[in-house]
Amino acid sequence: MDRAADGAQARRHPRGTRVSAQELSGPSVRNDRLARRRRVGHAMEAGAWLSAAIAVAILGLVVWSVASKGRSELNLNLITKTPIPFSLTNAPQGLSNAFAGTIVIVGLATLMALPVGILIAVYVNEFAPPSIRAGVGLVLDVLSGVPAIVIGIFIFLLLVVGSGQSALKGSLSLAILMLPFVARTTIEVLALVPNSLREASLGLGIAAWRTTLSIVLPRAIGGILTGTVLAVARVAGETAPLLFTSSVVGTKTDWDPAHALQTIPVAIFELSESPSPQDHARAWAAGFILLMFILFASLGARALVTRHTRKISGR
Amino acid sequence: MPKLGHPIRSTSAVAAAALLAVVVAGTAGASPAKHSDVTITGAGATFPAPLIAQWVPALGPALGITFNYSAVGSGAGITQITARTVDIGASDAPLTPDQFTACNGCIQIPWALGGTSVMYNLSGVKNLLHMDGPTIAKIFLGQITTWNDPAIAKLNPGVSLPSTAITIAHRSDGSGTTYNITDYLSSVSPEWSSKVGKGTAVNWPVGVGGKGSSGVAAVVASTPGAIGYADVAYALQNHLQYFAMKNNSGKFTTPGTRGVTAAASSGQKPAADNSLSIVNPPKKYANAYPISTFTYAIVPLSSPKAADLKRMLFWIVTKGQATQYTAKLRFVPLPASVLSVDEKAIAKIHS
Amino acid sequence: MATADVTATPTRRPFTGRRVRFGDVSLQVVAGAAAAATTALVGLITWKVIDGSRLAIVKNGWGFLTRVAWNPVIGRELYGAGSFLFGTVVTSFGALLLATPLALGAALFLTELSPRFIRGPVTALIETLAAVPSVLIGLWGIYVLGPALRTSIEHWLHAAFGWIPLFGPQSAAGASVFTAIIVLAIMILPIVSSISRELFLGVPLELKEGALALGTTRWEMVRGIMFPYARGGITAALILGLGRAMGEAIAVTQVIGGSPTIQWNLFSTSDSLASKIASTYQGAVSRLQLSSLIELGLILLVLSLAANITAQWIVRQTARKHGVTRGGHA
Repeated sequence: MDRAADGAQARRHPRGTRVSAQELSGPSVRNDRLARRRRVGHAMEAGAWLSAAIAVAILGLVVWSVASKGRSELNLNLITKTPIPFSLTNAPQGLSNAFAGTIVIVGLATLMALPVGILIAVYVNEFAPPSIRAGVGLVLDVLSGVPAIVIGIFIFLLLVVGSGQSALKGSLSLAILMLPFVARTTIEVLALVPNSLREASLGLGIAAWRTTLSIVLPRAIGGILTGTVLAVARVAGETAPLLFTSSVVGTKTDWDPAHALQTIPVAIFELSESPSPQDHARAWAAGFILLMFILFASLGARALVTRHTRKISGR
Repeated sequence: MPKLGHPIRSTSAVAAAALLAVVVAGTAGASPAKHSDVTITGAGATFPAPLIAQWVPALGPALGITFNYSAVGSGAGITQITARTVDIGASDAPLTPDQFTACNGCIQIPWALGGTSVMYNLSGVKNLLHMDGPTIAKIFLGQITTWNDPAIAKLNPGVSLPSTAITIAHRSDGSGTTYNITDYLSSVSPEWSSKVGKGTAVNWPVGVGGKGSSGVAAVVASTPGAIGYADVAYALQNHLQYFAMKNNSGKFTTPGTRGVTAAASSGQKPAADNSLSIVNPPKKYANAYPISTFTYAIVPLSSPKAADLKRMLFWIVTKGQATQYTAKLRFVPLPASVLSVDEKAIAKIHS
Repeated sequence: MATADVTATPTRRPFTGRRVRFGDVSLQVVAGAAAAATTALVGLITWKVIDGSRLAIVKNGWGFLTRVAWNPVIGRELYGAGSFLFGTVVTSFGALLLATPLALGAALFLTELSPRFIRGPVTALIETLAAVPSVLIGLWGIYVLGPALRTSIEHWLHAAFGWIPLFGPQSAAGASVFTAIIVLAIMILPIVSSISRELFLGVPLELKEGALALGTTRWEMVRGIMFPYARGGITAALILGLGRAMGEAIAVTQVIGGSPTIQWNLFSTSDSLASKIASTYQGAVSRLQLSSLIELGLILLVLSLAANITAQWIVRQTARKHGVTRGGHA
């Protein structure tokens, strides 16, 4: 496709004549087109570098904002003192109720989701025929696509109406959010366990169920725990379902799951709409701690993933 | 299998456990809930929330009751007590007959009295600005859009007003304070009454929504030229200016103790459902602040926590009205006539 | 994380010809019950949401979907999803438009361009962006991004292009559709990026090297080989990102301002389905309003499920087309 600009070239090389590579790249031949293609290529590559830089910069910006804006309230008071709403004095206050509540609610959610997720993975990997396997996979994908706020509405309509909020109901909604994640990662991890292990165990006369529980699962436990840590990191910051299930809370530090407990994300959400600058600073500070926990857990879990994968599959 | 993995794993496990222990110890050290305490949960109006926050620390030592109150707005308070997701609801707007039916045996008990301030953010102007009903209605309708509009200037002769744009901040949630101010706007502006009406949530012609009175205060505080409405305690706590509103006798009054007390004297006799309207009192109440309101606790007549509810409510309508709680937030103690109605109502609660 | 490919059969053999022990059966039953319960859960969620919106469906009719109204005044109640549907569509597609080039660019960087030693850390960092809680991004949006946008980009765009209705008067408080779009773009960027990255890693090396050997520039190779190869997967990633953006309630409600109107000005306040539910649900003043909010939730559920199922279907189609194994890569 010689253009008019390449006129001189066209006269020497009519269409259809083969052009040698040397002529295409030789310095004596005008390489406008090649130069243009290279320029475009370089521009696109620069764009790609820029995109990655922007993505990383945003993370850095958010972390930096959270750290710097919460600095004034980032002290021991934050986790030891209770909040004093509408305080007319400058008495020290913190968010101890939110920290306690988050530990209780996220902990209970993990205890609910983990066994069910492992059981589903065991079923899919060890027992289910391919059609059911695909069906369960579809169910898990669908469940993971339900927005968190719809899950909140669901638990509210099912359990909260008529009987009140509680941390347990909040945990249930978080457990539903965690479940697909735990199940999927456990499925992947169980699939990595070499079949030779199972066959060896069965060959020795060990029952199938024993094989699964005592041989296969322990081998995969590292990966399962990693997946759980990632799931915990994901729901530790969930706000929407807790607005419906655990938002009418007290200021005292309470560990009772039968009561509605304050959580860090809900506290941040409420404080973010307050007009007081101290409230904002406390929201940033609590957000910083939450963010550090999530970052630590996520990055740490990912760092361990490759190690576990190699260990599980025996490579 | 290399042993190198274990030190890392066990170290991080120990570190995580240590961090957890620190947090647990720290939070446990901060006033844990005593097991002998009764917990009563409440949700509703943000209007009385600052006052309730003064009651809560006193209720524990005085009655052994832990009162967990969530200020989610009057609308939410009504919905939640109807659904019995909380023990007590709170609303500045009295229940409609439909809401009474839905609530299935509830009673409303006025438990606080205060004024809704129309607050604004105009840092260049330090004077106490005057405002009247028809003008503020036009502002909320979006017909007056700048501060130096002639209508505002006429009410404030001698004050130089900037040309800043007016941003309206209103409640995005169902709010008794919204009911209070739209009640007032409907009574001073026929146009407002027909175009928008009154209610705990209305179709605001213009403005930015804020969640709760805090949300509105936040919008006003952060937006130069903004006008919003909330209980005066919120304006005080956030150092926001508020208008002196013109009442029916022609005086410009503020939502302080005097203005609200004068307004309350116009509503001496509660209706059969215990509601009282003291908005825009007639002109014989010369010092009345025209946007005052009672706020109600909504309680089921039959409740598993009846005994504790009765104790708590009795304390609130008597001791809780003392000036040590109410004065600095500009709430006004309940008048005697209302108090006697309250006591009769509280007595009706049974388990 | 990409969806687990549960159709890829781990080579397990059925337990035939072996004595069936009680333990085997009970484990299978219990595990099967867990799977069945999860399936039932999805059905239960759908049913409960439909049940909760029944009153509104009957009273509001089909017009609900297009009506632009939300008047909760008792006696004049009129509800419609029109403005929220509009808000959801504008913010989600806007976020997708903004995030896609950045996400694809970052994915390309990580697979083709970056020096090996920073590949791991940068990948981890971008994926960690997905782990940042939405409430924190919303908080950052209210107090950092919103005000910054108001005084900078919104100001310039309005000054330069104010005659286009899209760039009308700036937001008063930083809360606007524009802020919401950027916040959502930040949230879906890591999802689209990480899926695209895995797709690009899966492009067979022979195809890439073949193109390069023929003299294409790296960009031409990407455009001509990698994008078409990964086209299905990228589409699925985009749809997944769209679904995520549509379902985001908290961050959006913090920055969008909450006004139930349809305006073309990007800098005006607005509201979306999820955001409306989050801000108003607890304060619903009548059973009809409550039910109408649940009906909004139903619309949201249908849209999210549609997006999710479509994306998964595309993934399965392309997996089938390209075979399951990954192409050679380092």
